[in-house]
Amino acid sequence: MIQKIVTKEELYKLLNYLLQDFEVIGPKELTNRGIFYETIKNPQDLYLGEGFTTEPVKKLFLNPSEWFFKCQYKDSKNSLEEIALTKTKRIIIGVRPCETKGLELLDKVYNSEYKDEFYVNNRNRTVIIGLSCAKPDRNCFCTSMGGSNVESQGTDAILFDRDGKFILEIITDKGKEILGSIGNEPSEEEKKHWQQDKEKRKDLVKTKIKAPEDLDKVFEDPYWEQVSKSCLSCGICTFLCPTCHCFDLVDEQRRRLRCYDGCAFVDFTLQASGENPRPTKKERYRQRVFHKFDYFKKNFGENLCVGCGRCIRYCPVKIDISEIVDKAPV
Amino acid sequence: MIDELKIKARELLKNKQVDLIIGYQRASDGVLAMPCFVDREEDVDKLIWDVYCVYNLANYLKDYAGQKIGIIAKPCDVRSIVVLLQENQLRRENVYIIGVECSGVIDEKRLRLGAKDIQESATFGVKCKSCKSSTPSICDYLFKDKEKKGKISEDKDEYESVRKLEVRSSLERLKFWEEEFSRCIRCYACRQVCPMCYCPKCVADQAMPAWFSKGANLKGNLSWNLIRAIHLGGRCIDCGECERVCPVGIPLRELNKKIEKDIKELFKYEAGANVEQKPLLASFDKDDPGDWIK
Repeated sequence: MIQKIVTKEELYKLLNYLLQDFEVIGPKELTNRGIFYETIKNPQDLYLGEGFTTEPVKKLFLNPSEWFFKCQYKDSKNSLEEIALTKTKRIIIGVRPCETKGLELLDKVYNSEYKDEFYVNNRNRTVIIGLSCAKPDRNCFCTSMGGSNVESQGTDAILFDRDGKFILEIITDKGKEILGSIGNEPSEEEKKHWQQDKEKRKDLVKTKIKAPEDLDKVFEDPYWEQVSKSCLSCGICTFLCPTCHCFDLVDEQRRRLRCYDGCAFVDFTLQASGENPRPTKKERYRQRVFHKFDYFKKNFGENLCVGCGRCIRYCPVKIDISEIVDKAPV
Repeated sequence: MIDELKIKARELLKNKQVDLIIGYQRASDGVLAMPCFVDREEDVDKLIWDVYCVYNLANYLKDYAGQKIGIIAKPCDVRSIVVLLQENQLRRENVYIIGVECSGVIDEKRLRLGAKDIQESATFGVKCKSCKSSTPSICDYLFKDKEKKGKISEDKDEYESVRKLEVRSSLERLKFWEEEFSRCIRCYACRQVCPMCYCPKCVADQAMPAWFSKGANLKGNLSWNLIRAIHLGGRCIDCGECERVCPVGIPLRELNKKIEKDIKELFKYEAGANVEQKPLLASFDKDDPGDWIK
């Protein structure tokens, strides 16, 4: 790991230069709308403040609307045309550590035994520059999910906003290639200060929860009906989640589309026969909790939650998964 | 003040006048509210009522069809109950409306976005600023606000922003809405939160045939958002919930208000105003402004 002190100007200058060869993507603030990842044409437009993006960085790896192939029937002949993979190299800046931890969890599904060519391609063509959290809000609980608001957790480099400058930690070779040329090395004293700062920032994540070891035994508990009563069965929690990855395959106008789908929707498990094994909110909400805190843990050894707080922050009726998991009657 | 509400709720449950009371309780953050479902007397103490009670609980009535429900409803929420009654989605005897006098609720959306310029008056929802009544039009019991500050309405032109959009050219408007809809993630929260969206099978969920793209792409997003708005023509009572919950901040209320305004001007009809009135699209009037009908 390389540590550097970088000024905002230096960083913007470098990004400006990199714009020639890379697509640069980062958070941008839209008044009264929120903060969104967008392709940046001018580094001045970047939002590198304390707020969080509405959508997680997942959307840039698992496209919400991915076309697989198109078919044609012409002159009595069928033909099938694959959609070419995008090869443009890109830099995503301003990504929070919890979001990249989410990518590491998605890797277990899309980039291990089974390799999803779209996802893997997006992973390979991307350099991620993280941004440590200086102001986690009360919905954040990353430290309870084995994560951290200040560690790299899968970024190629990570920035720490401090006294109007950035402290930069370069983690991978990819990161070094891009960012190696800028900044000054900090003095020993500065390094010490910084380490103390990091520890302090960790303590800013106030919400602490404990996910039960084994939820299985409370599968039939009436608890799930109680906590899901106010659920609206919308897709906010699943679509905004950095780790939810269920999808739907649809054929539209002779093209095959993969788009997001989520277990909260009524139709998610609707079968062709008309049977729906998860007919009420209870089964659907329980599925979301169990996939995250039971099934995934049993399959891959970790909870499928990074504690980013999006599903709590954006829930239309303030359902709080951290509280629900913490208070599960195990 | 809240005690009066609790006493009433307890009485309703005790006398078996209702099976369930839908109200508000404090959310886990200790500040905001969340919906609350009380079917036992001992849970009545959970109930709260204050400026954080933003939700339109009428949306939950469809979950309890056939049961006797007590519901805490603000004047705007009562308008949506009126539409549900007009459209025969609800039997009047099955719903006990505990109306609350309301002087406005907070702008939860702007609070969520971390608006830095929030002042006391600015914290109220935009819909509250043009609200015309602080007292519900129908109810079985009225919970009076003793410290009532009156309606917070600023008597502003409620169609001000619609007018600003209307004067733009159609191309400019298309560009505006394309930009907004391009962010749509098709989470359907706008539909799920809407008390008026009760179709057993929404057009967006139909697969055979599929009426528009399922994916979050501009074409599908345009279709979805416009169909949603048009389907609420003459039915939307402007509770503003769709705009509040939209995670990507699409100003859906502008669309709803535009349709509301047109209907007011063309047919002199206001949704949710009068339970005796027939729904706009289910009624015939010889004074209809269109010539074709005569």
